[in-house]
Amino acid sequence: MQPDDIARQLAPKLGDGLLSVEPFPGTAGRVRFRSERALELFRAVRDDLHFGHLSMVGAIDWVDHREVFYVAWSDAATQYLFLSTDVPASAAHVESASSVWPSANWHEREAWEMVDVTFDNHPDLRHLLMPDGYAFHPLLRSFKLHEPEELEVKSRHV
Amino acid sequence: MTTPTASVAPAKPPGPEGLRPEGPLPTVTQAAVPFIEIETLRAREFLPAAREALTSLIAEQGQTKVIRPVFNWAGRNSLFPLHWGLACCAIEFAAAFGGRWDAERFGVVPRSSPRQCDLMIVNGTVTWKVAHKLITLYEQMPEPKWVIAMGNCATGGGPFRTAYSVVPGVDKLVPVDVYIAGCPPRPEAMLDGILKLEQLIRERKE
Repeated sequence: MQPDDIARQLAPKLGDGLLSVEPFPGTAGRVRFRSERALELFRAVRDDLHFGHLSMVGAIDWVDHREVFYVAWSDAATQYLFLSTDVPASAAHVESASSVWPSANWHEREAWEMVDVTFDNHPDLRHLLMPDGYAFHPLLRSFKLHEPEELEVKSRHV
Repeated sequence: MTTPTASVAPAKPPGPEGLRPEGPLPTVTQAAVPFIEIETLRAREFLPAAREALTSLIAEQGQTKVIRPVFNWAGRNSLFPLHWGLACCAIEFAAAFGGRWDAERFGVVPRSSPRQCDLMIVNGTVTWKVAHKLITLYEQMPEPKWVIAMGNCATGGGPFRTAYSVVPGVDKLVPVDVYIAGCPPRPEAMLDGILKLEQLIRERKE
């Protein structure tokens, strides 16, 4: 599956929600889309392109904005597909993919607690790796590493 | 032909000089335990005699002074650590109970329930996520109880001391009696830590 095929099949459904499809090493391509049209894109990728398995969800803090990315896998094509969208840091939220791919549940919990991207309509958005009440999002670039004393006070929660 | 007699002893004991004292070997003239005369007793006579000896000793010296050494002796020879593993130190913990090091010869038997344990060996990196479970397990152990911080991570956080998810030393959560350094410590080091703890219990007054 080539990037041109993917763009041809997604463009009628997404319209201006589809920004670009470009080659990406190790995958069938990189699909960049507007975060408002996320759910439509997930359904199209799963039902029309037959990427039935969501392998990974993550987020990156680029300081001025945050990037949420998804890696889907197709058993038929034996290829990965890289999906990514940019959200502003001031309002970092995107629709949850867990209604389309249930495996997104825990990945989105991790992305939320590490990079502070809220996933709307997530069934169970709570801490995964950190204790409940943990006050930080450690993978943000504004997070300072050397403050164990403050961490202790805020994360003890006993 | 003369027959050798047993009464003729050599003038000097054989062997290198200075290793054996001159003269006959000293014999035991006093009982090793001063307050109980050692004599042969039948089993049905032993318990009343022991009870009588202990009762008179308690009346003489006070209960705490007599019972505490017995209690410490029993406790330090039957330390039951909690059988749980946090990280790679648990591999060394497991090896210490294998055939080569055999920690059970010191009476150390891991138990799976904290209610049967009096020793918690924290063997690995303690994250903030598991900190609450660790405190719960510690509180479920009956008194008296001891804690050994095994390895650099449990002692002070180790290489993850500044990480966002790691407790910098388990002594921030529970009181620690013995620290064992190493990454991970070898089973000999763990056995040495247990013997150090036995020394602590031996000297325990309260």
